[in-house]
Amino acid sequence: MANHSQLGFQDASSPIMEELIQFHDHALMVALAICSLVLYLLTLMLTEKLSSSTVDAQEIELVWTILPAMVLITLALPSLRILYMMDEINEPDLTLKAIGHQWYWTYEYTDFKDLTFDSYMIPTADLPLGHFRLLEVDHRVIVPTGSTVRVIVTADDVLHSWAVPSLGVKTDAIPGRLNQTSFLATRPGVYYGQCSEICGANHSFMPIVVESAPLPNFEHWSSSLSS
Amino acid sequence: MLASRVFSLVGRRSISTSLCLRAHGHGVVKAEDYTLPAYVDRRDVPLPEVAFVRDLSAQQQALKEKEKASWSALSVDEKVELYRIKFNETYAEMNKGTNEWKTILGGVFFFLGFTGIILIWQKHFMYGPIPHTFSEEWLSAQTKRMLDMRVNPVEGISAQWDFDKNEWKK
Repeated sequence: MANHSQLGFQDASSPIMEELIQFHDHALMVALAICSLVLYLLTLMLTEKLSSSTVDAQEIELVWTILPAMVLITLALPSLRILYMMDEINEPDLTLKAIGHQWYWTYEYTDFKDLTFDSYMIPTADLPLGHFRLLEVDHRVIVPTGSTVRVIVTADDVLHSWAVPSLGVKTDAIPGRLNQTSFLATRPGVYYGQCSEICGANHSFMPIVVESAPLPNFEHWSSSLSS
Repeated sequence: MLASRVFSLVGRRSISTSLCLRAHGHGVVKAEDYTLPAYVDRRDVPLPEVAFVRDLSAQQQALKEKEKASWSALSVDEKVELYRIKFNETYAEMNKGTNEWKTILGGVFFFLGFTGIILIWQKHFMYGPIPHTFSEEWLSAQTKRMLDMRVNPVEGISAQWDFDKNEWKK
């Protein structure tokens, strides 16, 4: 989860998110360099006295065409690399279905047994001391640490979106459509997210909580719930 | 600027014939003010289309006659007078700044302050209490829970807590 005044990303808990953070740092530096240059040139132009002696500008026209093209290539190459990386065949160990409703999520683990449960937000008035307002749910999504998980996201009524920032996952939940994404939780922990597509009055009150636990713990939880 | 170049290409004759005809109402349609040669004080248009003073007094006309002879015969005051006939401002006067920025800055501060007043009024008269999860007790329990859960352990909050000494890292 984020701090109260956090501006930057949460720490990555999946390899894709690590890549995305690095790309973002790179793109931000490029943007900062361009902005500084523009600000500098602007100040220069505004403080310079007007002159009637400029007639031709061939050299600078060439420069300010070639240079931006090179900058765009510098941005496009890492971006496409990560895009293709996300679509790699990764042979998931586990398939999880996330179904969005107004205003809660239903999760189904049907690989081995039929495990289905709803996940509602805990109202602020019912929160135990120190728990996170608008983020806690009654039933978390438990996944084994270090295992690639395939998530099939859909919705029952209106558009929703299943998002967990620290895992680098955001997938729209569209009624009548199955969208697939995958993630790998690299470390054990609890990762929070919120519904990311406007879906009515309680859109802000249907969070997602993914708990990454070691495999034996996951198996113990899964068998105790589905029996 | 383009217009001034066109005039210099076409020649002074065009200014004195067709344009004057238009200016004095002998053409078909009344010539609008903006189509007639105009005077302008600009650094990037050093020689405006017309002289500043159009109708010369008798004294100024005599001076223009004197200008046709050798210029070394002119006194400094006469040269200044000839300049003022041709041009409105000197370069120094043209480039002088104004005090407009003070007005603008004052206006900006005024509206910032006005917005602030609105916000204060809203907080005092409109909004209800904030959630109970912002109390000191709750926030400290929440921070402890975040550290126990190792939230953001790489560069975030859990990376700034010294778990051995049970205090924030220096």
